[in-house]
Amino acid sequence: MAATGELGPGRAPGNTYRLRPGLQQRFKSSTVKECIHTILMEKLANVEYVPEEMPQLTKSLSEMIKDRLKEEGFDRYKMVVQVVIGEQRGEGVNMAARCFWDADTDSYAHDVFMNDSLFCVVAAFGCFYY
Amino acid sequence: MEGDKRRTKEDTWKSEELRKHLRTSEADSKNEDQKHREKKLQKEKSVYDTDTHKHERKDRGKSKERTKERERFKSSERDRDKMRERERRKEHQREEDRVRYKDKLHESSLEKERYSISKGRESNREQDKKHKRHEIKQIDTQDNLKSFEGRDKEHHRRRESRHHLEEEKKRSKERERRHTEKKDNDTKKSIDKFLAYKIEEVERVHKFQKDQELDKERERRHRENKEHSIRPGKERLSKERSHKHYEKDEEEKHKSKRSREGSSHRDREGQLADVYERVKSRENERTRRDLRNSEHKEEDKIQEQMSPQHVSRTVRDKGQLIEKEERDTRQEEMKNTRIYNSDTGFDDFSANYEDDFEDYEDDFEDDDKSGKERDAEENLSEIPFSRTSEIEEIRRAISAENDRICTSLPKKIENETKEPVMERQYPSVRNSYGGIFMDFQLANQRQSGRSMASKQKKRSSELLPLIDLDFSVSFSLLDLPPVNEYDMYIRNFGKMNTKQAYVQCNEDNLERDTQTEEVETLEKWTQHPGKSAIVSGGPTTNQDISVNGTPTPKIDSQRLTNFLRSACRVIAVLLEEDQVATEPRWQQRSRQTSLSISDSCFQLNTNQPFLHDRKVSCLHFSQVQRQTLLSVHGLPEKASVGLLNRKSIICVWNIWQPSSPQKVLICDSEVICCCFSPNKTTLVFAGTTDGSLLVWDLREDSRMRLQMMINGIDWTFRVPTFSTDGILLSVNHTSPILAVEPVSTSLYTDKNYGLLSLSYQEEMSGPPFQIASMDENGTLNMWVVIELRKVDLAGSQTDLGLVPGGKVKLVHSSTMELSNSLFPKDVHQRMPQTLTIKFLSSDPNHFIVGTNIGLVGHGTRNGLKVLPKLFRPQESRLRSISISAIDFFPFGKPLFLVGCSDGSIRLYQMTSEYPLMQWNDSTNGQPIIALQWALTRPAVFFVLDASSNIYIWDLLENDLLPVAKQTVPSENVVTMTLLGEPEKTNGLLGIVLAKESGQIDIQYVKKKWALPQPEECEKLHLVLLQSF
Repeated sequence: MAATGELGPGRAPGNTYRLRPGLQQRFKSSTVKECIHTILMEKLANVEYVPEEMPQLTKSLSEMIKDRLKEEGFDRYKMVVQVVIGEQRGEGVNMAARCFWDADTDSYAHDVFMNDSLFCVVAAFGCFYY
Repeated sequence: MEGDKRRTKEDTWKSEELRKHLRTSEADSKNEDQKHREKKLQKEKSVYDTDTHKHERKDRGKSKERTKERERFKSSERDRDKMRERERRKEHQREEDRVRYKDKLHESSLEKERYSISKGRESNREQDKKHKRHEIKQIDTQDNLKSFEGRDKEHHRRRESRHHLEEEKKRSKERERRHTEKKDNDTKKSIDKFLAYKIEEVERVHKFQKDQELDKERERRHRENKEHSIRPGKERLSKERSHKHYEKDEEEKHKSKRSREGSSHRDREGQLADVYERVKSRENERTRRDLRNSEHKEEDKIQEQMSPQHVSRTVRDKGQLIEKEERDTRQEEMKNTRIYNSDTGFDDFSANYEDDFEDYEDDFEDDDKSGKERDAEENLSEIPFSRTSEIEEIRRAISAENDRICTSLPKKIENETKEPVMERQYPSVRNSYGGIFMDFQLANQRQSGRSMASKQKKRSSELLPLIDLDFSVSFSLLDLPPVNEYDMYIRNFGKMNTKQAYVQCNEDNLERDTQTEEVETLEKWTQHPGKSAIVSGGPTTNQDISVNGTPTPKIDSQRLTNFLRSACRVIAVLLEEDQVATEPRWQQRSRQTSLSISDSCFQLNTNQPFLHDRKVSCLHFSQVQRQTLLSVHGLPEKASVGLLNRKSIICVWNIWQPSSPQKVLICDSEVICCCFSPNKTTLVFAGTTDGSLLVWDLREDSRMRLQMMINGIDWTFRVPTFSTDGILLSVNHTSPILAVEPVSTSLYTDKNYGLLSLSYQEEMSGPPFQIASMDENGTLNMWVVIELRKVDLAGSQTDLGLVPGGKVKLVHSSTMELSNSLFPKDVHQRMPQTLTIKFLSSDPNHFIVGTNIGLVGHGTRNGLKVLPKLFRPQESRLRSISISAIDFFPFGKPLFLVGCSDGSIRLYQMTSEYPLMQWNDSTNGQPIIALQWALTRPAVFFVLDASSNIYIWDLLENDLLPVAKQTVPSENVVTMTLLGEPEKTNGLLGIVLAKESGQIDIQYVKKKWALPQPEECEKLHLVLLQSF
């Protein structure tokens, strides 16, 4: 705040904002999806659906994925990771997401893991801090 | 702060009432309250943790302040409200309280609620705390709080030592008051009331939450703030107010202290309390050190400030209690029960509330300070509780000191009225200073937060235009269709290593059937009226085969037929011989030869019913098949069989089968001459007296012909296949046909011909040939024989001479008038009659014609002139001698014999006009009927004369006379022909004799005339040369 005070109105404040992420730091859906995929494959390979364990599992998964995504170096990105685990019982499921965002910078990636007893949908949204 | 804002008039009213109440109480009982409190403290030995601190100070300055304040109040306030309050006081404080509260109640319950709301946190809390405290004091035994006492005891002791005396005084006063109070209120009752009140307060708090929405005016807020918070400005207004405010201030202070104490009550805030105590002690020490002079004043003031609180509080509490009693009694007793029930958890309950309230209190105090310090910033920030409490303490201390410093002791009385104002004002100033100092961190935080917010706001305002936010399309994260039942079933039950491979159903099990049967068809023909045996027919055999579908064996039917036919002949001959051998009649007859010239003889069985009484007019052997004989039987002299009565018959014989004729041919007119086809014996040609030429096809199926059963034997009588009778009138013969001769159109030798004839035997297309027919008038017609490929059983409409089903027809080729072209004028003038014609076998174009004038004409088919034109007898004069027989030399040389009706025999060479030899009178003038070269010996020929004498000529042996003469004894011989096979040298030579009776005898000539001699032709040639 001291800095803004020093900048004062005289300077052009527009120059100081980063409106776009760097090319390397841009949120890349493919890599994110890959990350999610590897993690899901690793963690859910032989997991049976047990209702009591699922909340903990979803939390741990989301944390894990979030931390993993932070390592990817998406600078100035806010990561939101949503994990949904459901049981496979033959019922139909339809999930959708909709975002209000800046489509130039923000993006999302999702991946679905399924085995005989459960399905897991992970959606990771990356929102850019200007 | 919001709570303050929302305070309503009622609240103010309440507060005013309180103030009134306080005034009254203050006037008389400030000191009493304090004393009372102090007494309590002393009595209960600092059961009041909260009060101890106050008391410390109060006690310090009590002695002085009390006096001052009393004086102050007495002087100022009592003047106004003296009477009322005093009266009330005198009567009973409780009653007053009750009235007041009743008033409050009457005014509105909302007021209370608002009160609770507005003051809410403060007052209620205060009340709670107070109640609690009271409870603690009154209900809880002192034991419960001894722990707290322990802490505070130090202070107490210190202070007690100082203020002991004063307190004792107060105590005495308070006791007095208490007594009065206790008279009215039992402590137990009050406890109950307190409990109830607390619960009510809880209720109030809830209500307060509901009523929070009410708007509060700024003024009120201010007012109330002033009223409730420690606002010095308020005290400026009036002494009365100041009293009230005072009280409230005191209350607040009390509150804060209490809260501090409350916190200190609680272990978790023990630290704070410690800190506070430390600070306090330090301050106290400081103040003691620095301002020992003014200590007393300060303390007095403080005590003054504090004491009214207590008084008012107690009064209020009591009032409230009373009110609640009433309310309780009025409303529900349930509350009491509830209260009682809730006694056990009461402490915690209250403590929890206290916690909450403390937090709020903190807010308030902060607010207060902030309100004092910066009017604008009211709502900001929380100062840590300990700090605020410290601050307040310090502030008070400072203000007190300042007051003391500012006001000299002598001016005390003067300032009495002003002091409160000053006190209120100054602290505010000082507080602001102190607040700045103390709250720097908080303010800093606040400021930083605000600047951050503003910065972010600015940032966002600058950024938002640069950024386009939009709604993304909705991403489908997962679309999992529901599993249908079958898959579910398979998933649950189909996992056992099984897999569905196929489904079996009966789709391919089909049947097809037809119930209609095929229609059988047959083609048939009929004829009406039925002229022959076959009236109807049809290709049944073929159809049978086709219908039955039986596989017919692959048979070459033609070859089979040929084989059967030839074999049949052989078998038939063999059977015939066996029959001859077994039947002596035939054998005897054959042996019984009466002729000297013959070794043996046999008869053809002409003893057939249809041959009776028929005279044989002509005999003819086939040149190809030497054993096949034609015998022409003329009309019977007496009618025998009706049908055949008027018909002449030609029988076809196989001499090896003499028992019966092979075939029987019939025709309507009398047959004069006949012949076989040159290449095969399948066709028979015959010329009739009508001038018609007839053709029989021997291959025709016997069924097509007339069949008759005669004497148990089936006979087939064949009608001519083709007849020129009645057709071709322009070219046909108009006179009886005397001779019919086959003419081969191609040159052939006998040997080759024989072989060829076999090969062509049954074939339709043999070498082409023509038939020459000559009638009495010398007309020679040439006919072409055509075999039809197609048989028309219904008969032909164009070929009228063709019998239905016939395959052979004759087409007229050419006509030649022999009498005009053949003979010279002198001869022609004599009107010669042609009698016989012979074609040269080696050159079919040449033919010789015998006439009735003893001359033999020589002609060709193509009309060319040839030499000699005529063959004349040795005597040159013309005589009416008819040429009865002509025979060509069969062994190649162009020689021919001519027999004449005068009995002379002439031997001609084709190149000379006159004969090589001429034998006259060899037959004694008997006309020669037949004459023929022997077929096996070139030098021998046979002659038959009209007197049935047979002469045998052997030119090698005797060229002047016949070597043998045999007269047929029994009857006249009509005609004769020779039978023999020149190809074979077995010496078999037979003479066929046809007798008048119709018998046909065959005589085998003796071997000496039959067997050929070596080099006979050369010898004959020499003989002929010699004779010439």
